[in-house]
Amino acid sequence: MKALALLATVGPMDGSVEAAEAGDLTAFDRLMRQYERLVLVTALRLLGDLEDAQDASQEVFLRLYRNLNKVETSGNLSAWLYRVTVNVCHDARRKRRVSALVEDAAELPALTADPQRTAIATERRRALEMSLRMLSEKERAVLVLRDLEGLSTEEVARALGTTEATVRSQLSKARVKVRDFLERYFRRRT
Amino acid sequence: MNSSDWEERVALHAGGDLPPAEAAEVERHLRECAACQVFASGLKQSLALLKEAHHEPLAPAHFSAVRARVVAELEQERRRGALWARRLAWSFGLAAAVAALLVMLALRPGRTPERRAPVVAANHPPVVVARVSAAPPPARHRVAWRVARPIVPDTPAPEPLIVKLQTDDPNVVIYWIADRKRGE
Repeated sequence: MKALALLATVGPMDGSVEAAEAGDLTAFDRLMRQYERLVLVTALRLLGDLEDAQDASQEVFLRLYRNLNKVETSGNLSAWLYRVTVNVCHDARRKRRVSALVEDAAELPALTADPQRTAIATERRRALEMSLRMLSEKERAVLVLRDLEGLSTEEVARALGTTEATVRSQLSKARVKVRDFLERYFRRRT
Repeated sequence: MNSSDWEERVALHAGGDLPPAEAAEVERHLRECAACQVFASGLKQSLALLKEAHHEPLAPAHFSAVRARVVAELEQERRRGALWARRLAWSFGLAAAVAALLVMLALRPGRTPERRAPVVAANHPPVVVARVSAAPPPARHRVAWRVARPIVPDTPAPEPLIVKLQTDDPNVVIYWIADRKRGE
């Protein structure tokens, strides 16, 4: 978790941004590989649907390419990407179709071959996605960035364009809702 | 402090979001309150489960699909950009060619009108002397001319006088037709 957060705060160190800005698509591909997990997984948690998350990720990376000069000077690429991902997902949620949540978890193929572990992993994903669906859009964004992506309260506030006090308030509500939901969810299953 | 306030603070404490002084206060309360202990334990478990599920790796194909779509889109944008640049170049080239053609047509020899002596087209000569101004007209289709008073021989038949005036512009010819009184 800490390692992931640290990874997110360091910038690209191989000159990919400069090369991509000069029009080198291979360099931009390298840059995308560095940040694809950050963008796609965050979008997936915010949207709850893999296809929508891929669409959102595509949009985020296209915006990145078109704004490479601004991003380079701003210095913190991961913060920029989190902010844009949240905004793009917000727009996507307003436009998108109503999709069935429960099937979403099953869409993602498990990487393990062990059927029992696969079943547990699928169950966990389903619980995660359903509990996130219980939250308001702002609560979900706060919980995803703070608890799942491991950003600091200050970074979350910056990414969402709000105050730390608001982040803390939404965070506590979100955690309580998730806890209540998961308790009910697993009680019903057992 | 009511239970709702504690709930909020315990929830923040579960994720390590309280400043040290408040965290110590919450920990003191948790040691004394069994209900809050259960609540805090549930919070920590649920957060742990969410994190675990969140960090399960996604299949690499999902990432590569996004990358491929982005690169394809950017390449298409480039092609569109190149096409527009070509079209723009063609347009400029064509416009330059048309402009050059127009200039050539305007400057070609023979286009300048010759200054000709006025022609009198009266039905019986010599009736008219007309003069086209020696100086060029101020504007293209403006005609500066002056007609001398016609010298008409003493003829009994008062036929109308027709004067053809050629101007500086070869496309403009003026016919002046006037009735004459006997003896004019």
